[in-house]
Amino acid sequence: MVVKSLAKPRNLRAIAVIALLALLIVGATALYIYSRTYANANRLGVTMHPTAFESIMARIRPAMMSMIAASVVLAVVSLSFQTIVRSRVLTPSMIGFDSIFVGTQTVLVFVFGAYSVWFQNPYVNYFVTAGVMITISMFMYSFILRSSKNNVIFLLMFGLILSGIIGSGTRYLQVIMNQSEFFHVQAATMVNVNNINTNIANIAFPIMAVVVVLIVLRHRRLDVMSLGPDQAKSLGIAYERELRLHLILIAVGMSVATALIGSLTFLGLLAVNAAREVMKTHKHLPLFIGSSLMAALTLIAGQAVMELLQGAVPVTVIINLVGCSYIFYLVLKENKT
Amino acid sequence: MIEVKNISQTYDSRSERDTITDVSLTVRENTITALIGANGAGKSTLLSVMTNLIPAKKGNVTIDGVDVRKIKTSEVAKKVAFLKQTHQLSIKITVRDLVEYGRFPHCGGRLKDTDHAKVNECIDYMNLEELSEKYLDEISGGQRQRAFIAMILAQDTPYIFLDEPLNNLDIKYSVEMMKIVHKLVSELDKTVVIVLHDINFAAAYAGHIVAMKDGKIYKEGTPNEVITTEVLNPVFDHDFHITEHDGKNICLYYD
Ligand SMILES: Nc1ncnc2c1ncn2[C@@H]1O[C@H](COP(=O)(O)OP(=O)(O)OP(=O)(O)O)[C@@H](O)[C@H]1O
Ligand SMILES: [Mg+2]
Repeated sequence: MVVKSLAKPRNLRAIAVIALLALLIVGATALYIYSRTYANANRLGVTMHPTAFESIMARIRPAMMSMIAASVVLAVVSLSFQTIVRSRVLTPSMIGFDSIFVGTQTVLVFVFGAYSVWFQNPYVNYFVTAGVMITISMFMYSFILRSSKNNVIFLLMFGLILSGIIGSGTRYLQVIMNQSEFFHVQAATMVNVNNINTNIANIAFPIMAVVVVLIVLRHRRLDVMSLGPDQAKSLGIAYERELRLHLILIAVGMSVATALIGSLTFLGLLAVNAAREVMKTHKHLPLFIGSSLMAALTLIAGQAVMELLQGAVPVTVIINLVGCSYIFYLVLKENKT
Repeated sequence: MIEVKNISQTYDSRSERDTITDVSLTVRENTITALIGANGAGKSTLLSVMTNLIPAKKGNVTIDGVDVRKIKTSEVAKKVAFLKQTHQLSIKITVRDLVEYGRFPHCGGRLKDTDHAKVNECIDYMNLEELSEKYLDEISGGQRQRAFIAMILAQDTPYIFLDEPLNNLDIKYSVEMMKIVHKLVSELDKTVVIVLHDINFAAAYAGHIVAMKDGKIYKEGTPNEVITTEVLNPVFDHDFHITEHDGKNICLYYD
């Protein structure tokens, strides 16, 4: 029976897509490693020495792991978010986590000073930042769920306004703080794909693993929840409880990914919708796997190309450009039907 | 046994009038109970409260003597199945996928051979074999309604609540549907509560009829007690003409 149900054409398609994506990721990883090692050596006209290769690899490995982990978290969290808010156009990152992150760092330095434990200790710093992000996003998400109509516009507007307010507040504090404190803030907030905050890796990876496992284990319940709240309740889902749990997991996942690798606003949205498009399934398990792979592939391949082009175009710019156009297309399409 | 005691419910907490007020009802076992009443009388609301989709503002609902609010949602789903009046799905799934979801309360989404057998049985029961791999948005309204009913049957619960199951069904399938409901009760010992707009279907198949007006139970009793001009005229605010056929009251309602 298991074999028979796996052999359904739709499942075969999902399996084929997953296998293909996995292959492409291997290729992209090889390309990325090449771009960071031999490509650079060739450009400089030197030969790649094995010890030099090893020392570069030692720096690449944590970055690769962070990219893959963040991709998986963003994809999983975005899919769960889309199911519970019942929209394919929304992504949890639209609230503007990056501005909250920068704002929190600035306030920490401003209030406690650049050498205080609040700012310097990566763990304390992370927990404070994550706490702020989780509080703000939980507040927001529950608001969106209560107002059933037009939540796309609502979330986008709120994200814009919040980023604006926090951004100008942050800039004001940065202007009035002294210069050395300002440099500390700047160094701490330059987190992005090229400057991953590996200081918190020890704590970020376990948290990410817990978030991903807890959400993915609920894939069957999410399948039922995609039928809508009433139908799901009739079929025995404790809907409100599941909803709250997912919102918390989403907020935790987003905060940890942002603190580790910076904000990648549209990566989750793109990956989830691309996976839906090619896998043509509504089941969450294959979609979780497919969109995670899709996100990792986009990020690694993007980084590799960027390295090869000598940073001519940063990968986040490309992702945001494609993501923005895609969300525009989705909003137009959803409005039509 | 399902009992409803002094239920009141409102959608708008600011409004003076409750949507349903002080409704008490004992659902008769192994019987078809038909719920009739005008649009907006509160029939669907009552069913939603009875199936614990929306909690009651006042009063309580008990299943076998236990308050529904104290029973786990997953346990309620093994006892009570509820076909809503309207269904909107935002995902694209096939008829078979939908019917398989009916097994969720029993298998948690891991379908075993017995679950697949049940799914096939329900698909056959509703005459959907040929449509089973079709997507729900690619079939007719009546076929979709049958698919949802098949899902309810797959849930295989002792209590079945159907809110206007004859919606979109043609005459042949309406009669067939009522025969199926009748068989569920007589052969499989189920208890069915069904909202019907065609009073004559209620007269022909129900063992007990509950007439609702303005959020209250106006009258309940056997078909012949309820299908009378004294009850129907005020409940529907319309002039009825009652005749008899095979010892059963039948009504004519065209002017
Ligand atoms: N979700 C809702 N929010 C607010 N008011 C509602 C909601 N659902 C129903 N109502 C109101 O409650 C009252 C009872 O509605 P209900 O759906 O129970 O009637 P009904 O007897 O099932 O009618 P129908 O025969 O049209 O299905 C109506 O006045 C309706 O406007
Ligand atoms: Mg109704």
